[in-house]
Amino acid sequence: MRKVLLLPLVAVLLASCAQDPGDEGDGNFYDGRTIAYIVATDPGGGYDAYARLIGKFMQKYMPVDNIIIKNTPGAGHLVGANTLHRSRPNGLTIGTFNMGLIYGQLLERAGMAFDLRELEWIGKAAGEPRSIVVSENCAIKTIEDLLATENPVKFGSAGLGSASWSDMMLLADALDLKVEIVPGFEGNEGEMSMMRGEICAIFGSTSSFKNFVDSGYGHLILSVGDRIDGVPNAVDIVTTERGKRLVAIVDALAQLGRVTAAPPGTPPARLEQLRAAYRQALEDPELHAEAERLGLPIKPAFGDDVSALVNAALNQTPESVAMIKTAIDGT
Amino acid sequence: MDLGGIYAALLTVVGSPYHLFLLAVAVPIGMFFGAIPGLGGKLGIVLVIPFVFGMDAVAGALFLIAMHSVVHTGGSVPSILFGVPGTGPDAATIVDGLPMTQNGEAGRALGAAFGASGLGGVIGGIFLLALLPLLQPIVLAFSPAEFFLLALFGITLIAMLSGDSLAKGMLVGFFGLMMAFIKLDPQTGIERYTFGQLFLWDGVDIIAAVLGIFALPEMIALGAAGGSMAGESKVAASYGLKGVLRGIGDVFRHWTLSIRTSVIGAFIGMIPGLGGDAASWICYGHAAQSSKTPERFGKGAVEGVIAPETANNSKEGGSLLPTLFFAVPGSSGMAILLGAFVMLGIQPGPALALPQNMDIVFVLIWGLMLANVLAVIMFIAVAPGLGYLSYVRGNLLIPFVLVLAFLGAFLAIRAWENMVLMLAMGVLGYFLKKYHWPRPPFVIGLILGPIAEDSFHKAMALWGPAFLLRPGALVMIGLILLTIGIYVYRLLRHKEAPEWMREDDD
Repeated sequence: MRKVLLLPLVAVLLASCAQDPGDEGDGNFYDGRTIAYIVATDPGGGYDAYARLIGKFMQKYMPVDNIIIKNTPGAGHLVGANTLHRSRPNGLTIGTFNMGLIYGQLLERAGMAFDLRELEWIGKAAGEPRSIVVSENCAIKTIEDLLATENPVKFGSAGLGSASWSDMMLLADALDLKVEIVPGFEGNEGEMSMMRGEICAIFGSTSSFKNFVDSGYGHLILSVGDRIDGVPNAVDIVTTERGKRLVAIVDALAQLGRVTAAPPGTPPARLEQLRAAYRQALEDPELHAEAERLGLPIKPAFGDDVSALVNAALNQTPESVAMIKTAIDGT
Repeated sequence: MDLGGIYAALLTVVGSPYHLFLLAVAVPIGMFFGAIPGLGGKLGIVLVIPFVFGMDAVAGALFLIAMHSVVHTGGSVPSILFGVPGTGPDAATIVDGLPMTQNGEAGRALGAAFGASGLGGVIGGIFLLALLPLLQPIVLAFSPAEFFLLALFGITLIAMLSGDSLAKGMLVGFFGLMMAFIKLDPQTGIERYTFGQLFLWDGVDIIAAVLGIFALPEMIALGAAGGSMAGESKVAASYGLKGVLRGIGDVFRHWTLSIRTSVIGAFIGMIPGLGGDAASWICYGHAAQSSKTPERFGKGAVEGVIAPETANNSKEGGSLLPTLFFAVPGSSGMAILLGAFVMLGIQPGPALALPQNMDIVFVLIWGLMLANVLAVIMFIAVAPGLGYLSYVRGNLLIPFVLVLAFLGAFLAIRAWENMVLMLAMGVLGYFLKKYHWPRPPFVIGLILGPIAEDSFHKAMALWGPAFLLRPGALVMIGLILLTIGIYVYRLLRHKEAPEWMREDDD
């Protein structure tokens, strides 16, 4: 009896092994297959939430059997990005990671195993202004106060070399801010520190401050990128040519939120299918409704538009790179 | 305090068969995610979020909180039976839970762990209720200065866990601290002893270290000796419901300790940034320190199981406080829960403390407490069966445990390199065991080292050396001096190295 049950199982297993995942140009390639969606962080958190949401809706628009989330955290998104880059380019692996890695590539930091331009870009889901939030405990109430202050103001940031720390350094240089940066505040630790009256302000992505601001603990005094009602924008404040260019770089990175890419060499026909499904998913009103409930802002861009944004951010003239280097590394 | 509101919330939960059904479903799911090494509560919540999506706010929140609050109840099972921690905060349970199994007391150890988890969870909930009016000043009193000294305080507990020689304990502890320096320097971004390996950028993974230090050497010893986990015991085999009930009774027999460690756990949980690992180890150290017979620790003292298990459940009650009322999650698990609450239409923040919003808070607190009680009841039924596992022959058990260990090491950071790290740690653990060097100090150094380093840098950047003069810091310094004083007093009273420090576990 057992053997009878086992035989068809073995047959099915053998048959599934025999299918060559390399067959090219077949319109039904994705039929019954599984796509792995690499997320460069642990489960939970923004990148994971976006991937699970988008993966679920892409499945609606592809004949795939399943889109599974594969969390490969570590080294500030480097492990996930490197894993995606060296995955087999058969159209069955896509991934998402923090585009702050652009800083790493521009400054030739250790750990980047490849050129970000090599990836096949599928799209991006978000992109929102960065902003400065100040604590209500702080003497600084407006951007004018901050620009006029005599004593350095304490700003919290994530660890040295992280994307948010690099953003902070560029902004401080661009606006010639008198700040003292205290690094090492991960996640919500910075908000706790502001509530205790230790650090005065943080510069980061606007949606991450929503709870803090809504709870009445602080308010926004400056935004970089898209305009926010009632909040001064950095382009209106910055005066120097150098400052304008640095602000533009921060803005360009802020626009590249929640990107999704495939490994280099993914067959064009399959890439097109992935891009089409991604676009349909992000244009689905149901996805927008769900994203709103999850508190995930959506501002999509697709395929070649994202490639163009990435290339624009990476193709800096040597003097711009030198400028970024002096702003971030001080050398 | 709004007693009527609290009572009405209880009725909301127990008066609705639907809500009770959700509790009954959520509890085993939560325990399952805790009991399988490497899965953990965070992944559990992420995976069930889609199912909770369609529920109303009360039902969904109740389901998630019930699931989240019993993860560590399940996590104690593999710690006790195999020396493989289900989750990070369950690692401290190994130190005495595993020897109890080897002594043939697996049932009692499991009973103690469940009883302690349940009691810890309930006390965590009561703590939450009691502290509602005082919340803000207490949570905000803890700055990096106090974090640093609290970590130092934890490190002084190494002395209590050193076994027969303080020098050996300190050496092992300092070796753990040194291993904590392997990572990207948080202040300069420079790689420290990472040898170009990206997986070491975030530091030596604690799960891999604990598995290597505890689980692998025990399996090697078991393989060499033959027999079963409980085979070395000289007492008659004791399993079945009697042992389990005895373990639960132990929790109440040591009721002052149970309450103390529950409160300490809830307190540490309430302060964002310290984490559950620190809570269980500090409570374990406290149990050894405050015991009249500390010589039994590490050899199967039931208090050594009770202390960390009360702490890792009660901390969930504590960490709900900042999560709900400041919208600042007390732990990474709570961060995910926070996101799920927002999705269900519950907006955490100070506005939640307004009377019209307190209903949902009370429902959550009841959910947390009832889930913990329910977890104990459910597990009493299966615990005797689990106890039998300690009598399974080694050659059947070892492959299974090794699979669990490798799985746990891999899943912890989802990198194969972590399995290599675990093996390297296993070599260290094997020799520590073989030559009777104490192993807990290593883990304490590894866990508290990064907290001490990070908060020291922050405190120096914020206040300079004057941070030591903050009132909270002075209290912590007093505590540290007191701990050292007690230790020295005990040494002097016993003249030579007291006999409780002798270790003979073979």
